Amino acid sequence: MTPLWNVIGKRWVGYLLSALLIVPGVVALVVNAGAGQGALNWGVDFTGGNYLQVRPNRAASIGEVRTVVDRFASGRSIIQLSDPDVFIRTRPLTPEERRGLLAGLRQAFGGITVLREDEVGPTIGEELRNAAIFGIVIGLVLQLVYITVRFKSVRYAVAADVALLHDMLVVIGIFALTRKEVNGSFVAVLLTILGYSINDKIVLYDRIRENIALRTREAFDRLVNRSLLESLVRSLNTSVTVALSIAAVYFFGGVTIRDLAFGLTVGVVISTYSSVFTAGALMVDWHLWSERRSGHARQPEPALAAPVLTSPSSASAASGGTAGTSDRVAGGGRRRRSRRR
Amino acid sequence: MRTRVGLRLLGILVIVLVAVQVALHPVGLSGRVPTIVSPALRINQGLDLRGGSMLVLEGQDTSTVKATPEAVEAAMSVIERRIDQLGVVEPTIQRQGPNRIIIELPGIDDPDRAIRLIGKTALLEFVDTGTQPLPRGARWGADGKTVTLPEAIPQQTTPPGQPGARTLSLAKKVILTGSDLESAQANINQGAGPGELYVVGFKFRGPAAKTFENYTAANVGKHLTIVLDGEVITSPVIRDRITGGSGQISGGFESIEEARDLAVLLRGGALPIPMKLVENRTVGPQLGRDSIEASLRASWIALTAVGLFMTLYYGLPGALAVLALGLYLLFTLAALAALRATLTLPGIAGLVLSVGLAVDANVIIFERMKEELRSGKSLRAAIETGWHRALNAIVDSNVTAVIAAAILFVLGSGPIRGFAVTLSIGVMISMFTAITVTRAFVDAAALIGLGPMLVRVAGRPRS
Repeated sequence: MTPLWNVIGKRWVGYLLSALLIVPGVVALVVNAGAGQGALNWGVDFTGGNYLQVRPNRAASIGEVRTVVDRFASGRSIIQLSDPDVFIRTRPLTPEERRGLLAGLRQAFGGITVLREDEVGPTIGEELRNAAIFGIVIGLVLQLVYITVRFKSVRYAVAADVALLHDMLVVIGIFALTRKEVNGSFVAVLLTILGYSINDKIVLYDRIRENIALRTREAFDRLVNRSLLESLVRSLNTSVTVALSIAAVYFFGGVTIRDLAFGLTVGVVISTYSSVFTAGALMVDWHLWSERRSGHARQPEPALAAPVLTSPSSASAASGGTAGTSDRVAGGGRRRRSRRR
Repeated sequence: MRTRVGLRLLGILVIVLVAVQVALHPVGLSGRVPTIVSPALRINQGLDLRGGSMLVLEGQDTSTVKATPEAVEAAMSVIERRIDQLGVVEPTIQRQGPNRIIIELPGIDDPDRAIRLIGKTALLEFVDTGTQPLPRGARWGADGKTVTLPEAIPQQTTPPGQPGARTLSLAKKVILTGSDLESAQANINQGAGPGELYVVGFKFRGPAAKTFENYTAANVGKHLTIVLDGEVITSPVIRDRITGGSGQISGGFESIEEARDLAVLLRGGALPIPMKLVENRTVGPQLGRDSIEASLRASWIALTAVGLFMTLYYGLPGALAVLALGLYLLFTLAALAALRATLTLPGIAGLVLSVGLAVDANVIIFERMKEELRSGKSLRAAIETGWHRALNAIVDSNVTAVIAAAILFVLGSGPIRGFAVTLSIGVMISMFTAITVTRAFVDAAALIGLGPMLVRVAGRPRS
């Protein structure tokens, strides 16, 4: 056997990394919400409002545009410039205000080309928000059901769903931190991650399932670790190809699609990460937890091996080791626990 | 073995030919003899690619009429008549939910005009105001009992009824309405004053024409006020009995277009309920063109990058997988054409994403093959087991991906729905190409003596 990279033995590193990824995002969500600017930077799709992408006939500065916009759209408007285009986001405008704004812009900049215009009523935004939440919940539930049926075990399904939630939290957190605009396409991002990430987890779980069927004498954490390494190349290669394609869309696909591509790229990277560091670790910890609850009697001996469960000191011992040392640590962990009982 | 591989390749070739025909239509089959026509991608483009407007209108309850599905249905047919006058190619109108209408106007030049025309209730009323003339812009309250005069049309800051708002108590006695009209058209009134140059001529239908004649005969010297959606257009004096049921509306139009628009509205009839615009998504033709260009470029770059990666990493099997990937794209385009699905900009992103996912199945298989070869199996056995054992994982992972896409399809609208469509079609077809097509290619390669290459590259020792 080739020397193992003991991902599972050092799974606390993964949990720590996940916490480092999630906590800042959640803090940003709370802080943003507290500051009254919305937990996320909601776009017009969610809040309702008018969005304009125009190309003025002469170069315009943000200040100039703002003067025109403020004349017709009172309240907080957001104006961005991406030469040569101007992006304007306002509260929902009445037909008169909207017409006035367009006419005002035409007059101020010697004519404009309207590249894109979105007008969304407030009720539509609210509906989208509800539909998004509903869709994600339904998505998680359906994945739960499907995996439970296919793997004949709730454990795989729940662990996969937790990993999915993890991925979505990270992506939402990154959008909260970067204050990137969140629009209808963000819902597509979340649901695609849901579909893509689960794909990755299933390949891993399929391997675990297969290995369990093959060798029952191996400790569960070692078995998961081995399965993980066996499917690692595939997981990385797939991520590379998917990331390559989506990155191409991000860089060359034009402004309109950039937000979607950004979210998808982040999602692909995160779901690969969680396939390696989270999905398997969750299975192992659940296994150990349920074992502790049911006591030793029913389980076969070797399945009890667990390096980092009892104290951080054993984990740090494991972190330096090769497969051989982690073996010993695993044994040590078992002995320590049996002593305690 | 040899014949079976040959049959499979033949089958794939047939599918390829069919797909080319469906997607590109290079052979015209409409005549008696098939003809060669210039191939063109026969896929509907979404509004975000070809430019155009998507409008969502919502029926509003009033004190007298409720926005029932029937009323919305009736409004739809009125709107349909109005859209016919806009000269839009292939507009679509659909009902959504109990009280909404979705209108798609591809390639429209002037979305503003469309919005003005489509959303207007266009209830024309001929009102008996006795001896009282009303200025243009005066408005009747919703109860039809008071008129607010235009100088005093309340600003948003001052509620009506405050000092400064001049109102008039005047019951709205409606003689005839727009639904009594037979025809209406815009005219230019030669030699008239600047405000009266453009007019809308109209003609009442039979019985209404009689009513009109009787009324005008009995009310010479009084004012007949013409009101559109509660707002006075003009309030002329009846000079004489008007026979024949014809007349004209003047004084309200600053351009011939305005007069023409009103004529269009009157011909189409009034909406039975007011409709409010709740969503408008317009993409200008220029942005659409830019998007197509940019997304095509992105697709080529993505494909090349993925192809290079696969070939460099997996060698010959990788190259065969890339070939299968090319077929995958062709099949997906054909499926989109056959299903008359609409390709949107996010849809293209979905397509590109699914290219990455399509490769995934092959990666799973090749990794399996490598393992089997490393464990000392023969090439044929390794191919066999590699495919067989990878199948479970591939099916499971793809089904879950389709579940997510299906939800997106149900929930999403317009462009996002296009994303769900290409993603799910792509995932399903990729299973076929990755499993069946690549397998046939690899088998064929093994048969024609490329076995050593397959083994060498696939079995490259792990570092």
